[in-house]
Amino acid sequence: MNNAVVAAASESGKKVRLRKRSADHPGVDIPGMVLFLPAALLLLALFVLPVGYAFYLGFTDITLIGPTAVHFHFTGIKNVLRLGRDTLFWKSLWLTAVFLAGSVVGVTVVGMALAVLMQRSAAWLRAGVGAVSIVAWMLPPITVAVVWYAFTTTDGALSLVTPGDGDSLNHFPMLVVTLANVWATAGFSMLILSSGLRAVPSEVIEAAVMEGAPRWRIFTSVTLPIMRPTIVTNILLVTLLSLANFALIYIMTAGGSDNSTDILPVYSYQQGFVFKKLGYGALLGDVVVIIATVFAYLYVRVARQRPVRTRLADGV
Amino acid sequence: MHPVGTPRMPRPYVKIASLLGTALLAASMLPASGLAADKTIVTVAYSPTYVFDTNDLAAKWWTSVKEQFDTQYPNAEMKLVPIEGNYDDIVNKLSLLYRSPATTPDVVQIPTPVVAQWVASNYLLPLDSYVANTDWYKDFPQVIRDEGTFDGKVYAVSSGENDSMLYYNKDMFKKAGLPVPWNPQNWDDILTAARQIHAKVPDVVPMWLMAGTTAGSVGIEMGAGNLLYGSSDPTIYDEATQKWVVDSAGLRETLGFYHSIYSEGLGAKLSDLFSPTPHTVPVTDIIPNQKVAIVLGSNFYGGQWGKVVCAPCWDKATEVEGVAPIPHVKGQAPNVATTVAGWDYAVAAVTPHPKEAFDAVNVLSNRRNSIDIANWSGFVPGSSKFANDPELIDFGPPVNELASKIIQYGRILPPLPDFEVWSKGLQQTTGTMAQHPETSVDDAIGILKDYVTNQLGDDKVETK
Repeated sequence: MNNAVVAAASESGKKVRLRKRSADHPGVDIPGMVLFLPAALLLLALFVLPVGYAFYLGFTDITLIGPTAVHFHFTGIKNVLRLGRDTLFWKSLWLTAVFLAGSVVGVTVVGMALAVLMQRSAAWLRAGVGAVSIVAWMLPPITVAVVWYAFTTTDGALSLVTPGDGDSLNHFPMLVVTLANVWATAGFSMLILSSGLRAVPSEVIEAAVMEGAPRWRIFTSVTLPIMRPTIVTNILLVTLLSLANFALIYIMTAGGSDNSTDILPVYSYQQGFVFKKLGYGALLGDVVVIIATVFAYLYVRVARQRPVRTRLADGV
Repeated sequence: MHPVGTPRMPRPYVKIASLLGTALLAASMLPASGLAADKTIVTVAYSPTYVFDTNDLAAKWWTSVKEQFDTQYPNAEMKLVPIEGNYDDIVNKLSLLYRSPATTPDVVQIPTPVVAQWVASNYLLPLDSYVANTDWYKDFPQVIRDEGTFDGKVYAVSSGENDSMLYYNKDMFKKAGLPVPWNPQNWDDILTAARQIHAKVPDVVPMWLMAGTTAGSVGIEMGAGNLLYGSSDPTIYDEATQKWVVDSAGLRETLGFYHSIYSEGLGAKLSDLFSPTPHTVPVTDIIPNQKVAIVLGSNFYGGQWGKVVCAPCWDKATEVEGVAPIPHVKGQAPNVATTVAGWDYAVAAVTPHPKEAFDAVNVLSNRRNSIDIANWSGFVPGSSKFANDPELIDFGPPVNELASKIIQYGRILPPLPDFEVWSKGLQQTTGTMAQHPETSVDDAIGILKDYVTNQLGDDKVETK
């Protein structure tokens, strides 16, 4: 409830019946619902139903071609039992976690470094670096994949400074695809974290300076805590973006070498479209959807929290 | 606001005019079928980017085929349905198109290893009564007929085939003191030559032997599959037990050859073996640039260096590059080993006009078109008559002549859906051997066994 409204109401001495309506507890709003309907129908038709159907397919023996391509059957938990036994699935789950963790740490650190440096740099440098980072983020995955493929294989630029045959991609595939993802996504992270940095109240920083706190201490004890919601938002969005970045890995390594970059989206594709086992591939896709849903839910929770500035003003 | 000076139309006329306008608009949006209303449309799905050596040649050939069909059959019209992408993309897109009769093409060009799966899905029309009346099908060798025949019925006919052979660089062989022409009698002869090249011509790759997963099953067709078919036990799928072979004398001989090549440093570099399209590396790069001495490769390289295809042009191809059949492990008869796989034409079971659809297949399979597609795609034509035509033999000497000669000894890879799983297991195995040369044959067999068993289950694999 809005404090100002309550105060005004009690000052006038009148009994004002306030409808309890806030962003957290919306009432039924018929016109709003009507206006929301087209979007809801679109979401239902283009997202909820296909995803629901994909979940159903995950419990069938559907194949892309062959006798069960059209005449497929519900097979209960048969695919789930297979999932439990499938050593490549567990390996794939682990590789997905490694790729996501590596990407999130790399993207956030590079994004934060860029954001901080840009805040302190000259305007022309800020504009230049910002533009380049954003261009890297805007590039389609195929371009990123080709650039990094050329850079990290034998005869590529990196091979000039690395020992042996210089084939970093095939010797350290997970590291290289993660770095490629960091390179491509850091610009996005920089944008988010820059806006978070700008939202840090200057009076708080000035107070810390007046207290004689060193710069690094101000950054770790004042700036970072205030930016916490922005950083969490950034981490969740980077996780979702990386989880969906099937194309980059598929083009660079197709899950190899020796399955060492076979993250879940790639393994799901392989089962569905190379082995033609659409049902099992759909179940693997369902696991990806569940993971994405967990992160999306956390993101929504964080996004609904009140902005830092408001909380500071309230003395919270 | 109505413009000043323009007479306003009386209200009833506005209604009539808008009705007429709507009717005209609707008429203009109807399919432009007025002229072709009485023509039978035959849809033909094909690859504009994968099958032919260049996209321009694909466009030229298919445009010509359409013109021939439209002229020869004035009451019908061929509608071309291009399917973009690589091997897997084409198979996947076609699989999706066939799920509904409304999107099923009347005629399709599909890879031979997947025809059986189309047949199992009841997607294809038996063509026995149609092929009996052609002048080309009777000249198909048995192995090529078998590719499209299931349960005694013909479901698909060849548009062209690929087999494999050994390519060798005569200059490097002479420099290493090896005989030219070279005609290895067993696998030891190949290894001896590779070792000698390694010792005497140190700055070249002694032997190209496909390894790894990036080429998919094409890597088996143009690599390990050929060795396995020349081994003492070539069984991949045991028909009697209906199980996949993951350990056998043949597999151990094949992987033993891989072990020799990669543990002795006789193979190509990883970035080439694991490139996104490794099967094109020999023909576009390392053979014409003279970086490799021996290549176990496909016949499709044959016409690619000539003036017509020119991808890349290499004037000295016939002078420098020699070819030889792949021998069996111990030189056992017939001492020619090769896989056979290609592309077939098939007619949809749901086509409303099967006669016209087969008329299209007939045009596609005539002499001119068979030889042109073979020359421009690097195929051996299905019909042995066309396969020995001077126009074909002279297009890519000496490759085309040998390719036509050895195709009769070829074997197809098992046309079953789970072949992709077994194939992926073997690709992983060879990839590991190339990347980690210390991998022993026992370890390699273990990789294959683990992979296939994990995917298909204990009850679907066997040791022979």
